[in-house]
Amino acid sequence: MSAESDPAQRVAIGISFGNSYSSIAYTSGEGKAEVIANEDGDRQIPSILSYVEGEELHGSQAKTQLVRNAKNTVTTFRDFLGQDFKSIDPTPCHQSAHPVPSESTVAFKVRDTEAEEESTVTVSEITTRHLKRLRQSASDYLGKDVNAAVITVPTNFSDAQKDALNKAAKEAGIEVLQFISEPVAAVLAYDARPGAQLADKIIVVADLGGTRSDIAVVASRGGIYSVLATIHDYEVSGIQLDQALMDHFAKEFLKKNKSAGDPRENDRSLAKLKLESEAVKKALSIGTTANFSVESLADGVDFTASINRTRYDLLASKHIAAFVRLVTHAVEKAQLDPLDITEIIVAGGNSHTPKVASAVANAFPETTTVLAPSTSPTAINPSELSVRGAAIQASLIQEFDLEDIEQSSHPMVTVTPHLSHAVGVLCISGEESSGIFHTIVDAETPLPVRRTAIISTPREGGDVLIKLVEGLRHIKVTKPEPKPKKEKSEDDDEDDSDEDESEEEEELREKTWKIGNVLSEAAVKGVKKGGKVEVQINITADLNVNAIFREVGGKGGVRGLLSGPKVTQNGSA
Amino acid sequence: MATVTIALPLPVLPEGWAGEKDFKSIGQLSAATDRNIEPVGPHFLAHARRKRHKRTFSEDER
Ligand SMILES: Nc1ncnc2c1ncn2[C@@H]1O[C@H](COP(=O)(O)OP(=O)(O)OP(=O)(O)O)[C@@H](O)[C@H]1O
Ligand SMILES: [Mg+2]
Repeated sequence: MSAESDPAQRVAIGISFGNSYSSIAYTSGEGKAEVIANEDGDRQIPSILSYVEGEELHGSQAKTQLVRNAKNTVTTFRDFLGQDFKSIDPTPCHQSAHPVPSESTVAFKVRDTEAEEESTVTVSEITTRHLKRLRQSASDYLGKDVNAAVITVPTNFSDAQKDALNKAAKEAGIEVLQFISEPVAAVLAYDARPGAQLADKIIVVADLGGTRSDIAVVASRGGIYSVLATIHDYEVSGIQLDQALMDHFAKEFLKKNKSAGDPRENDRSLAKLKLESEAVKKALSIGTTANFSVESLADGVDFTASINRTRYDLLASKHIAAFVRLVTHAVEKAQLDPLDITEIIVAGGNSHTPKVASAVANAFPETTTVLAPSTSPTAINPSELSVRGAAIQASLIQEFDLEDIEQSSHPMVTVTPHLSHAVGVLCISGEESSGIFHTIVDAETPLPVRRTAIISTPREGGDVLIKLVEGLRHIKVTKPEPKPKKEKSEDDDEDDSDEDESEEEEELREKTWKIGNVLSEAAVKGVKKGGKVEVQINITADLNVNAIFREVGGKGGVRGLLSGPKVTQNGSA
Repeated sequence: MATVTIALPLPVLPEGWAGEKDFKSIGQLSAATDRNIEPVGPHFLAHARRKRHKRTFSEDER
């Protein structure tokens, strides 16, 4: 066994590797995840490499090379890993080194040595170089040689892509302990915060990144996560938001400089316009106005302009609306209702934009908590969610043998039956028509599960009925009473359509329960005045229910056993 | 996982209710849906440990 795979010798970090930015983090002895700044002081390190006279520049330093040295600057390459040239979309690389086919993979032609001729560098090799730099930054910071990592990837990263990334990491001296998915890493980042309470929730992670949008609906049950639905979109992205600003400033520039050329039609001008537009976008996340300022934007003409946030929100509104539609589609795809969503984690760099968070919040009821810097003072930096989750996972598994980690991630362990409906008790009345259902175990809880409930009893105590039933979530829609039409002049009627929506009476939507299968009845007798009843339910993977009903503090108790539906075994002949 | 607290009172046992040892089994759960759980986080690790060693919750706590 090599030293690298000896768990005792591991120094493991979390890495988030995006098409636009990457981050590195480690978990301190006290279990707190810390994001590491590289030597440029960046925690969001551009996933960019640039070559100048044989010297390799990385991160922000490489990014500035997009103006003068675009041909030898490699950007936006993560998604190309493990793919053949025919299946990639090279559009995001139009203003930097162009991807070219190379055997079965993708490569870039760059002058990465002092020699005149270009070399063909595969995307795997570029990734290795990028990861080496990240590893070096983390090692310098920690004063220890980092040799292992948990790396986050999108939920639709294929096995071929993971294989390619695994190999590229190995070449960079990094043993990949595990790939975990970006949205789940974000959920873990929140759950691992000191003082976080474990609760059953349905969480949407809505990630508006640089080149793509990724939405995931995640059921969190007792700290175990199941992805219910995902949506990926490559049209709605930070690039679109930058483009909206680029068009705006280009037009302003042309208005003021009638004789100058369009900065979008010259490579170097375009690169300057793009970098400054992104900077303006970021500035508008904190300030309500920002300045755009570029020396010699086009034809030697300097340009400065200012923009306020309202203006930007307007320019971006089409793209933000498209992002919100993706979020609501994902909820539909999971066959859920907005009322089912406990929490939305707005992730990805563009979630710093207040309008992104508020537009998402507006599409959901008030009962849904939106976690973003502008909506929640305790929100985690959306650019750091993935890497924090990865660092926490790294600290959890770094002492395990790789084989152990692999076995635990195997479908034998991860494919699990989930409850299709909630299981709970009827309160107030035992009649299905009038009793009020209260959940003990939620739908989508993976099995086996054990849960305990403490339930109140009638004021005088006495003999009580505990009726275990399935609860089917139902959305009750109450239409508003049709209002008597007011007499209005025709002009007034036209105005009506622009009226504030809140003025109109909206239909009322509520989450209610319908009773599904009745499972059992139990009696707990002679409960004392003010006493409470404890119900403990165990549900096995084959849907057997084992329950204990007893008065809290009382002796004995009633036991009940229910066997699950008989399953026909396959291939038992 | 924290205990569920239910403030609404349980119904009074109907007159004449009878069950063997105070329990009456009536129906069964609807079929479950197979899904992948994410191999991430401390609670998953506990789940994996139980599953791989074929242990129940209470055996796991011992
Ligand atoms: N403070 C900020 N305000 C607004 N936008 C920001 C801010 N910081 C970063 N961004 C934008 O977020 C995007 C990068 O997001 P993120 O780091 O999540 O992307 P990524 O995961 O590397 O890219 P991808 O998801 O395409 O692989 C860029 O469009 C960037 O301009
Ligand atoms: Mg991303």
